[in-house]
Amino acid sequence: MPEAVRLALAVAAKDIRAELRSRTALLSAVVFAALVLVVFNFARDPTALSATDLAPSVLWVTFALAAMLALNRAFTVERENGALDGLLLAPIPREAIFAGKLLANLAFVGTVEAVTLPLFVLFFNVDLGAALPGIVAVTALATVGFVAVGTIFSAMAVRTRFAELMLPVLLLPFMVPPLIGAVQATSRLLSGRPLSEMLGWLRLLALYDIVFVTLCTLAFSAVVDE
Amino acid sequence: MPPDNGGYMIAAYVVTAVILVGYAGWLWSKGRRVLRS
Amino acid sequence: MTAAAAARSIVRRGMFLTAVALLGLAAVYLLALQYAPVEARQGLAQKIFYLHVPSAWSALLAFSLVGIVSGLYLWLHDPRLDRFAASSAEVGVAFSAVMLTTGPIWAKPIWGTWWTWDARLTLTLFLFFLFVGYLALRAALQDPAERARFSAVVGILGLLLVPFIHLSVYLFRTLHPQPIVLKPSAPSLPPEMLRTLLVSALVFTLLYVGLVTLRYGLTLAEEAREEAGDAA
Repeated sequence: MPEAVRLALAVAAKDIRAELRSRTALLSAVVFAALVLVVFNFARDPTALSATDLAPSVLWVTFALAAMLALNRAFTVERENGALDGLLLAPIPREAIFAGKLLANLAFVGTVEAVTLPLFVLFFNVDLGAALPGIVAVTALATVGFVAVGTIFSAMAVRTRFAELMLPVLLLPFMVPPLIGAVQATSRLLSGRPLSEMLGWLRLLALYDIVFVTLCTLAFSAVVDE
Repeated sequence: MPPDNGGYMIAAYVVTAVILVGYAGWLWSKGRRVLRS
Repeated sequence: MTAAAAARSIVRRGMFLTAVALLGLAAVYLLALQYAPVEARQGLAQKIFYLHVPSAWSALLAFSLVGIVSGLYLWLHDPRLDRFAASSAEVGVAFSAVMLTTGPIWAKPIWGTWWTWDARLTLTLFLFFLFVGYLALRAALQDPAERARFSAVVGILGLLLVPFIHLSVYLFRTLHPQPIVLKPSAPSLPPEMLRTLLVSALVFTLLYVGLVTLRYGLTLAEEAREEAGDAA
């Protein structure tokens, strides 16, 4: 296995272990997601809008908000352990550190999403059926994009006083294209539309991922090095 | 007969002037302080 | 030439350019209100176009320059580039504010709705949020080198976000045909309108240049003052 990949996985494993020990952010993100779903349920008029019309938006707003909370976990880890400073002293390529942090963040956000989806199906009586693999794929595609940007912005926000506020302010504009793409694709998947109708959106998601994962990987050293 | 919407036009022209002249004026007053020092 | 003296000369130049541009703006107001003909179907409200479109152009110019100069900073590490980017962002907020206020004021009488998620308005809304995020981050960081590096990353990422916003809006519109409201179509503008628009665009560009120069000079003066304060 190439050295850089091994290092990235080591970084990721360390972050994941740190979070599993404290478990706070993960739990709060999951509870938060459940609460958001409950609020959405009471906020809508079931006679006016069918669940399938609203479903994709509700799901993705919940994912987005919960992801923001999950990304915040990076702050507690950094502040309490000063983990990043130790890593930077070693001659580890910055791209590998970024990849590791990205993987750890994906693991967290992915976990929150994996727990939220069944809750969503439960509360909203949505029949996923054949759409499930597609929804998982779209979720993965969209999540990689905004978590990449979220990871680098977390590294910046942690150096400011109001980190929990700075991250959403910076990140939300960047979440919009993946969110739009995900909602549109999910909506079509739930309606059983053919793949051809969502190709444009899928291409948007894929292109976003390629561009921003690359950019954020390259820009990471500007953030952590003097 | 064109619609009677001059009010909107006035509002937009006033708001634009307030923002641009206001911002320029604010920078200008800071500039005066710099030049005087 | 000391830093303070250099700053003063830039401030002077900025003040001059801004003054000329503001005079130009007054001229544009006259042109737009008196010289340009009233559009029969849309009425007087159509004249908002002479302010709205050029301010969009200035906002986009400001933003593109923040992005490009940010990229250059990450490559060259010249503090002048960082100073310019910050100045352009602040001036960009002003033009975005004009766009975001004149937009709905224009849309309501012409399109019948305060807001439309059309490409231009949506993009400016995003530019506004990106500018605000950029400036908020700068305000929250004390160390100048860190502030310069971090905001440069946000700047370049923001610039690259713009095509994706465009693409999203484009995909959304082509797949969601919008209800046909009273759409202002301007396939060919009468010459007086075109002339007014061009003059306005020129004035708004000059105003951008003047304001950025002035802002840059003020920042330089501030830094010179702090340095003198440290030395004293």
